[in-house]
Amino acid sequence: MLKSQRQKDFVFDSVIYVVLFIIMLTMLYPFYYVLIASFNKGSDSLLGGVYLWPRNFTLENYRVFMDDPKWVKAFLVSVLRTVSGTLLGLLLTSIVAYGLSHRDLLFSKVYFTVIVFAMYFSGGLIPYYVVLRSLGLLNSFAVYIVPSMLSTFFLLIAISFFREIPAELKESAHIDGAGELTIFFRIILPVSTPVLATMALFMGVGQWNSWLDSAYFVQSEELRTLAFRMMEVINKSNSPMDSLAVANSVSAGVTSFSLQVTSMVVSIVPIICVYPFLQKYFVHGIMLGSVKG
Amino acid sequence: MELQTQVRSPGTGGSRQSSLWKRFKKQKILHLFVGLGMIYLLIFAYTPMFGILMAFKDYSISGGIKGIFTSDWVGLRYFDEFVHDYQFGKLVRNTLVLSLLKVIFAFPAPILLAIMLNEVKHMAFKRLVQTISYLPHFISWVVVVGVSYAFLSADVGVVNKALMAMGFTDEPLAFLTSPNYFWGLAVGSAVWKEMGWWTIIFLAAISGISPSLYEAAEIDGAGRLARIRYITLPGMKGTIVVVLVLTIGSILGGGLVGSNFEQAYLLGNSINNPTSEIVQTYAFRVGLSDGRFSYAAAIDLIQSVISVALIFSSNYIAKRVSGSSLF
Repeated sequence: MLKSQRQKDFVFDSVIYVVLFIIMLTMLYPFYYVLIASFNKGSDSLLGGVYLWPRNFTLENYRVFMDDPKWVKAFLVSVLRTVSGTLLGLLLTSIVAYGLSHRDLLFSKVYFTVIVFAMYFSGGLIPYYVVLRSLGLLNSFAVYIVPSMLSTFFLLIAISFFREIPAELKESAHIDGAGELTIFFRIILPVSTPVLATMALFMGVGQWNSWLDSAYFVQSEELRTLAFRMMEVINKSNSPMDSLAVANSVSAGVTSFSLQVTSMVVSIVPIICVYPFLQKYFVHGIMLGSVKG
Repeated sequence: MELQTQVRSPGTGGSRQSSLWKRFKKQKILHLFVGLGMIYLLIFAYTPMFGILMAFKDYSISGGIKGIFTSDWVGLRYFDEFVHDYQFGKLVRNTLVLSLLKVIFAFPAPILLAIMLNEVKHMAFKRLVQTISYLPHFISWVVVVGVSYAFLSADVGVVNKALMAMGFTDEPLAFLTSPNYFWGLAVGSAVWKEMGWWTIIFLAAISGISPSLYEAAEIDGAGRLARIRYITLPGMKGTIVVVLVLTIGSILGGGLVGSNFEQAYLLGNSINNPTSEIVQTYAFRVGLSDGRFSYAAAIDLIQSVISVALIFSSNYIAKRVSGSSLF
């Protein structure tokens, strides 16, 4: 009886381990495949059969990528929007949240109603586009930064964090004659690194991955982002009318497919680099997210 | 006594008012901070809400924001036009099928993964699987579509190359350019991308279950499956209901994995269009590509109204059935 129970447990455990192992492989292999394809000669990849390591190792794909001003510019625009968008977003979100974190703030009920309503309802894309157009934001770098500076979701997270900061900290600074701005920059921000880091990572990833704004709110080729260029090259090779395009050599041995996987690696690597930090914070984030709706 | 209060009350009222003013003046910097946020929301969240009016008007983009208010009313003309659009049936079917398929497959997947992970005793292995499983959540849809292209396309896709090399098929299968595969492709890649992420919340729910329950069940002779059935699942019930309410409320956008638009837009092409075009992508194209703003806004509005109705009704039902709800 006891023995059969143990046997059953063994079967049960084995099934679970095997299934989990397969899931893990399914999650990991696509990334790995894109990586080896980016180090394989483009014309050779088209023959198929490259599964485990580069068969015809080359750095040519990366060389062509870095020599093409179109890709380099897109990369720089993406870096610039990610850095500036994150910093300005953090600044606005935390300064508004600081004001709202005071429990004795007058009209705070009104303020919170305004925020929560904006969280649940939106005007939709078309009226949003009209507003961006009327503000003159279309076709400018600012369209990447300004409209996404304040998210109601992060605002509520920051408020709940600031409320946990001991009031004595602020009071003693008040007694010393410090103004609200001084208190905010000198006392509140330095003790809030966990919440600032969480917000920065999520805002940063959002900025880095965003492609729709670059496709529809911007026409200038100078302002295209890495995500947009990637979409462009994927769409082109995916288009049924243009199926020969993949085989088109961009230069010796480099195809638009090999350039596509190279750009994907360039886009994934920064995320993998911040991943350990993301992981440290995002469990907190998703728990709050689930309450938010 | 009555006289006293009568005499007193105007006085207290006055001083209360002036103390309110005093408090406000004392907080003025804080109100300035908050005011920045309010102005921001007014511009980027509330002005677009008023913009919904254009769905009932003959709006032209040259009118700018003012045009939203000054253009002529046309009533429900654009709603009527959409219902009679020759693509209407297709759009509604595609939107509903894609959304329902995602609830059916994407909702249980993280629950199953969480239960399986909970049965793993090697902490290092458990953490490894988890860490890898939520990595795709942080990768953009553009990259995910690029990955599906690298694996499934007819000319470079590694899956097609392998199938042909092994002799399963002579011709490459048109996974990306055939209406037959789109739904499977969209649901599969959505599960792949978001399953691990939503597992976090279900694992958190499981970790809240008291270990003594498991010990007692073991003493009573309950096997592993019985423990999952009678302890783990009931312990997750509250979380499951909340997530289900969220899923149903956002079902038209893709539920948990919330990506109907991005998938239909990025994976869609002229050949798989009969199954890949959904209400959202259609509204988007009609609006931003064809410049028919009022018509697109009307289509968007229909979908938003349905979504809001869904979230309230699913919340109500959840409250009645299980006692757990979102609000």
